[in-house]
Order: sequence, then C-alpha cells, then structure tokens
Amino acid sequence: MFHKPSHLTSPNNYFEDFEPGQVIRHARGKTVTEMDNVLLTNMVMNTAAAHFDEHLMKTFMKGIPGFDTRVVFGGINFSMVLGLAAQDTGEQVLEELGLDKIRLKTPVHHGDTLYAYTEVLDKSDTDRPDAGIVRFRHYGINQDEKLVFSGERTVLMKKRSGWAA
Amino acid sequence: MTIDIVADLKSRAVERKRGNTFEWFSVGQELIHHWGRTLTEGDNTLFTTLTLHYNPLYTNADYALAHGHTGAVVCPLLLFATVFGLSVEDLSEAGGPFLGVDELTYLRPVIVGETVYARSTVTDTRETKSHPNFGIVTWHTTGFDETGEPVIKFNRANLVRKAQ
Repeated sequence: MFHKPSHLTSPNNYFEDFEPGQVIRHARGKTVTEMDNVLLTNMVMNTAAAHFDEHLMKTFMKGIPGFDTRVVFGGINFSMVLGLAAQDTGEQVLEELGLDKIRLKTPVHHGDTLYAYTEVLDKSDTDRPDAGIVRFRHYGINQDEKLVFSGERTVLMKKRSGWAA
Repeated sequence: MTIDIVADLKSRAVERKRGNTFEWFSVGQELIHHWGRTLTEGDNTLFTTLTLHYNPLYTNADYALAHGHTGAVVCPLLLFATVFGLSVEDLSEAGGPFLGVDELTYLRPVIVGETVYARSTVTDTRETKSHPNFGIVTWHTTGFDETGEPVIKFNRANLVRKAQ
C-alpha cells in the first residue's frame, strides 16, 4: 500500500481505547430515505412488499397505525445503526464475529432519522498478540427519542500496539 | 364493440400467491430458499456507503489485500441482509413484523464475487396473546458458499400472519 493502514483510519478507536461501561454517542445521524429502503430491500432480494408497495399498505393495512404505509426493512434499520457506530467501533475491526439479542422495537418509516449509541460490554485477549475481542451493545434511537433497536455485537479488533505503534 | 380489458383480466385471472401463513410451519421443517445471490462489487459498495459502514476492508480493495484478503471483504451486514432476503418468500413474506435475531455467527469473511445460498429450519411456532391474528415463528437460517460451506448462521423470529 502507498499509505500505512493506520494513516487511513482514526487514531482513537483501537482495542486499547475501549473500557467496559464506556458509553459513546456517535457523531452523525441519518434520515432513512425511500431510496435507502427500496434500493437495499430490492437489492438483497427481500420480497416482502410491505417494504416497497405503498398502495398495498394504504389499502390492505388501512387503519393499522404504523403499518398503513411502507415500513423500512428491519435489516436496514439495524445495519444503519451499526453503520452509524462503525467509524468509532468498527474502523479497526479485522473481523466481525457475530451479533446477538438483536431486537427491533419500533417500526421505521421513510423520513425517520436514526442516531446511534454504544456501550462497551467487555473486552478480552486472544491467542494473537496484535488484536483482541471487544463486545458492544448498540442502540438506535429515532428523532422522537424512541428506542428503535438494541443488540450486541462481537468483533476482533486491532491493537494499537500491533498496528499503529 | 369495445372490451374492458382490465375487467376481463380480473374476471379470468387466478392469483399466484406468494408467502406462507402461520399454520403452514411445523417444527423441524427444512427449507431450501430460492435463487442464491452473487455478492458483487456494486452491491457491496452501495450497501456499505449507504449505511455509512466506514471500515475500509469493505470499500478499499488495496487495504483489504494489505490485510491478507484476496479482494474487498463483503460488509458482513450485507451478507446477513442477502441471506435474510433470500429466505423472505418462504418464511416471512405473508406479513408480520421482524422481531429479532439471536446467536448470529459470521463463520468467515466473504470476498466480493462469492455466491451465497440460504436454507432454514423451523425451530419454534407459538401463539401470542397480544396478537391473536398472528403467531411467532422462529427459524435457524444458514448461508452457504458455492462449495456448500456455511458462512453465516443465525436464529430469527417474526410475527407471521394466520390464514384468514
């Protein structure tokens, strides 16, 4: 590479920078648009028309609050929240290991804005000296401060000592 | 004489329904989902950038090569969303909110250009007092690569509409 990897990423988000109990409010929010939802839902071949047929929702689901218009595919909601948290908690990730206790609490509609918060649950060493495992709990909140999503995520993350010394 | 084409179509057409209702599912049932999907560079870049998932492994092939990969890594959430997407017609298209995912494991990084397939097993079906017109179904879903090796596995729960 022309640049060292550590020159392309933030200096403050390595394994050493996280401590259990730490809570981070991530800098950016994102308004989930019709383009995000319909494009990504169709791209991953999710065939549920509730995400892309407005007429169906206005007729078949008429009178059911929150479901009488298209709803954003839940997989996009939490991908967006984990994305909003990614520069702070994923930029130094060598490998995403898993997710658990993913809960979708509130439907998201086109035009809703999502914000992300993260709590560090724990961290541990592995058999490789240059990386460790960090476990996070992420939260997604909408513009009305309603909890949209919560879930745990486990990653293998670079240690600064191994990658940016 | 004019024919009302729309009325004629509606009178003669038989609807091809898609999706399954709650009663159709039974514990232990195994489903091989349709289509499969090659995860392209376009998919990966679009998904990663639209979800603001800023890890250069997914958007910078040069950086991914420097980390020992053979090309840009597929954003793991795109892998999840695609395996999920392939399962929707069989599992959840008939309607009912997606409730959650447990015990999701990424078994290895997937590289742009790989093809994934999806299969699921029904692990639980139950009634719910709060939603009498729906039941809760839980599935174990696995995504496979082209050699049949699993690359992702997870448990998913949905409300699933009952037959009216």
